[in-house]
Amino acid sequence: MIERLLRDATRRQRRSTVIAISLAMVAAVAGVALLALSGWFLTGAAIAGASGIASVRAFNYLLPSAGIRGLAIARTLSRYSERLYSHRAALFALADLRPTLFAKLAGTDPSRALAQSSGDMAARLGSDVDALEDSVVRKVTVPGALAGAGAGLIASSLAGLPAALALLAGLAAMRLSSRVLAPRLLTKPRQDHAAALNRLKADYTSYAACSGEIAVYNLGTQVIAALEPHARALDAARSAVVRGEAVIQGAQLVLAGLTVASVLALADGGAALVALAALAAAAAAENWSVLARTDMERLRVQDAIIRLESIATLPAREIDAALSTNGGSIALTIEGQSYVVPPGGRLLIGGPSGSGKSRLLGTLIGLRSDAPEGLAVDGQGVRTLGLAGLRPLFAYAAQDAGLIAGTVADNLRLARQGISEPEMWAALETACLAETVRNLPEGLTQWLGDNGARLSGGQRKRLVLARALLAGKPWLVLDEPSEGLDPETEHALYQRLSAWLDRTETGLVLVSHRSGLHALARQVVTLVPVSA
Amino acid sequence: MTALLPSGQMGGRLIGEDLRVAIDDVEAHEGLIARFQPLRMAAMLSPLIIAAAVALASWFSALILLATLIPFGAGMALAGLAGKAEADRQFLALSRLSGLFVDRVAALPAILAFGAEDRVTRQIGGAARDVAARTMQILKIAFVSSAMMEFFAALSVALVAVYCGFSLLGLLPFPAPEDLSLGEAFFALALAPEFYLGMRRLAAAYHDKQQGQAAERSVAAALEQAHRTTPPATAPLPDRIGELSTQGLMIRYDDGNSIGPITASWRGPGLHVVTGPTGVGKSSLLHALIGLAPVSGGQIIHDGTPVAAEELLALTGWAGQRPLLLPGTLADNLQLGNKSLAPQELARLTEASGLSALIAARGEDLTIDPRGSGLSGGERRRIGLVRAIGSERPVLLLDEPTADLDPETAAKVIALLQDTARSRLVIAATHDPALIACATSRMVMA
Repeated sequence: MIERLLRDATRRQRRSTVIAISLAMVAAVAGVALLALSGWFLTGAAIAGASGIASVRAFNYLLPSAGIRGLAIARTLSRYSERLYSHRAALFALADLRPTLFAKLAGTDPSRALAQSSGDMAARLGSDVDALEDSVVRKVTVPGALAGAGAGLIASSLAGLPAALALLAGLAAMRLSSRVLAPRLLTKPRQDHAAALNRLKADYTSYAACSGEIAVYNLGTQVIAALEPHARALDAARSAVVRGEAVIQGAQLVLAGLTVASVLALADGGAALVALAALAAAAAAENWSVLARTDMERLRVQDAIIRLESIATLPAREIDAALSTNGGSIALTIEGQSYVVPPGGRLLIGGPSGSGKSRLLGTLIGLRSDAPEGLAVDGQGVRTLGLAGLRPLFAYAAQDAGLIAGTVADNLRLARQGISEPEMWAALETACLAETVRNLPEGLTQWLGDNGARLSGGQRKRLVLARALLAGKPWLVLDEPSEGLDPETEHALYQRLSAWLDRTETGLVLVSHRSGLHALARQVVTLVPVSA
Repeated sequence: MTALLPSGQMGGRLIGEDLRVAIDDVEAHEGLIARFQPLRMAAMLSPLIIAAAVALASWFSALILLATLIPFGAGMALAGLAGKAEADRQFLALSRLSGLFVDRVAALPAILAFGAEDRVTRQIGGAARDVAARTMQILKIAFVSSAMMEFFAALSVALVAVYCGFSLLGLLPFPAPEDLSLGEAFFALALAPEFYLGMRRLAAAYHDKQQGQAAERSVAAALEQAHRTTPPATAPLPDRIGELSTQGLMIRYDDGNSIGPITASWRGPGLHVVTGPTGVGKSSLLHALIGLAPVSGGQIIHDGTPVAAEELLALTGWAGQRPLLLPGTLADNLQLGNKSLAPQELARLTEASGLSALIAARGEDLTIDPRGSGLSGGERRRIGLVRAIGSERPVLLLDEPTADLDPETAAKVIALLQDTARSRLVIAATHDPALIACATSRMVMA
């Protein structure tokens, strides 16, 4: 599937790809011809020079010397343009693939999609797509190497069939060696390397959590000693990878040398043609050895493809148009007991940490479906309504902010389309954040960095709250909105939010362990942790 | 490979710092040290070595090769400047746009909740095409330098070939500087392509250089920060501690979250508790007392004198939420805080904390791994607690000492703490009503 998506995307860049491939072939042929012609010219010149003035007169030196200079320029120009076009093809093809993959991820059942979207997975996804980009750039190396090999074969066949066959056999041996060696020498060390890296990270993380004891008992050296074996395993695996790559590339060099030597031995037809054949073979073999790098990278690309495949094949979410509600009452059933929150009602969900409050909210808005409580809106179960049926009803401000890298306005605009600036300021005012944003050097257009890095924890929460206020949904769902706020700001937030709820007649589902906002609620449900 | 060896040491010095700096950045260093730097050396030396070797056969060919370096150097410098200027011009836009895909995948819950996926998909597509177009702008110039290298590599081959050929023909338009044989001419021609090879490989390793240098900068910054917070020489250890207090202590984390001001006083000996809801900053307060939380204001006062938090390190026994477990035996781990702890004292503490059951069942030589596999949360906590009391230091800072324990064991631990607090200053952050009930003083954080 991912292969098909990639093919579709590359097809749109067909013109650039075709140009790049042709140029790669021209460059390879020019490179082979440059050396071959130089060898022939040199030897021919030597022979002519040795056999006296008449032969010198007869030797046509103008054409070959002009040819040599012409080929040098042709090789440079074609190599330069080939790089430009192959990168253009790859960059624009992958530019099409990224939104396609995102749409697949966003269009599937949320519980599947969200398994992929934690920071680590997202970064992984990014680097996997980059690995594909590299593989598309590399695509032109195959026709280039083939063209170079063809030119080498034609040039060496001028010195007889045996020379050409020797070159052919040598090139085949080079391919065989890297195809066979790459998976054998690299697969295991690469896996070991990944495993050692993960172990080192895991141990590092568990030690880092104990910084107090390390500091007071001065245990730094002992911790280093404990990490040492993993660091050594990591080094050993990395060395094995490098050794493997060196063996593969070394084998290419040795085989290339043997190939040139056997071409030299088998070529006939005069010294000039022998020189031509040998140098052409050397140039063709050098071109050819680039393919070994592709073999080594192939393993990495294959891993990336396997992981991306799991995203490309995600099934689309089923949308049942018949299921819709207009945001009536919410019914909550906990261990047989039912609570009903009428439209515009205000519910506080309490309970100690770990009792599943955030899970309950996530299930209510359709982002997950693992809450044990029974949940229904307008008499229809939330699992039947699904994300499509639930999200028109709920404006959600999550506990772990969930800001995008962008400006303040970019973040607010996520709520819905066509939000005006005055609306934004009004929402920021209600969320007690207008003052802060006004003081930012660029106000609403201030760039905030990854997950709002420029703002404090409490400010991020209020920006997320402002975004939820702008969504204009019948229910507001807030998860710990006042975490990290001082009591005065929390009180101001309480008053403004209370007035906003009264004015808009929006319902509220609130999770907050801090008492400052509890007075917003008209109903309270307390969850109890599942006893172990 | 030496690039990877420091990872262990840095890991130790940077404990508490970012995992990415300590491990990933050290890994990224490899490209710079193992590939770029040797290649740079090779790129500087190899043209000279090749030229010297060519000179053995034909000094004039060597001269031709060296002469091509002059326009090559000038061209590379110009292309390099233009390339850097273009890269700098695009840097901000590129760094913002290229992370967009990863960022939006990470923010997927919010995007799904607001039904914004179509808009965001369009935005990702637009940004990705914008990145591609801008990258092409940079590449156009960046490739000029590699084209220049290719050109001079090809030109040097062509010039040597033409010179040698004309020399062999005796048709040079100037007096022949040397007498060439075919063998010498061939030798010069065969080596000519190698003249620029080192530099071409160096150019290909440019990416390693960039990544490695970025990593080097962040590791250096982290190390500098670690040095700044390195504790000074430890103060002499008094036998007992009278009073420990804080005056308007403020803690402010880099992400902007702040805790405090905290003003509190604890008199020793005694058992003091700090309570308050989760997330209010109890652990941060304990960490601030030993200099492991970023204090932005206020003072820590020891027997009436303001002290640096680091000075308390040597006076303090610590048992955190997750005790440190080092590979080794259980006995080793219990004595990490005090290697000279008397065996009978250790036996008394294990008995009093209820750990003796674990020792009876699995032996003192029970092997421990860093993740504490095979130990329950409560057992791990008590290992930290025995270690802290066994350190025989005058101040004990304990974070939730009775969490994860059944009521019976918790009662034992509380009795042990009360006993310990007769001679030492014990400060415990806790939610446990039974422990709070036994405390000399209670401070509520809100």
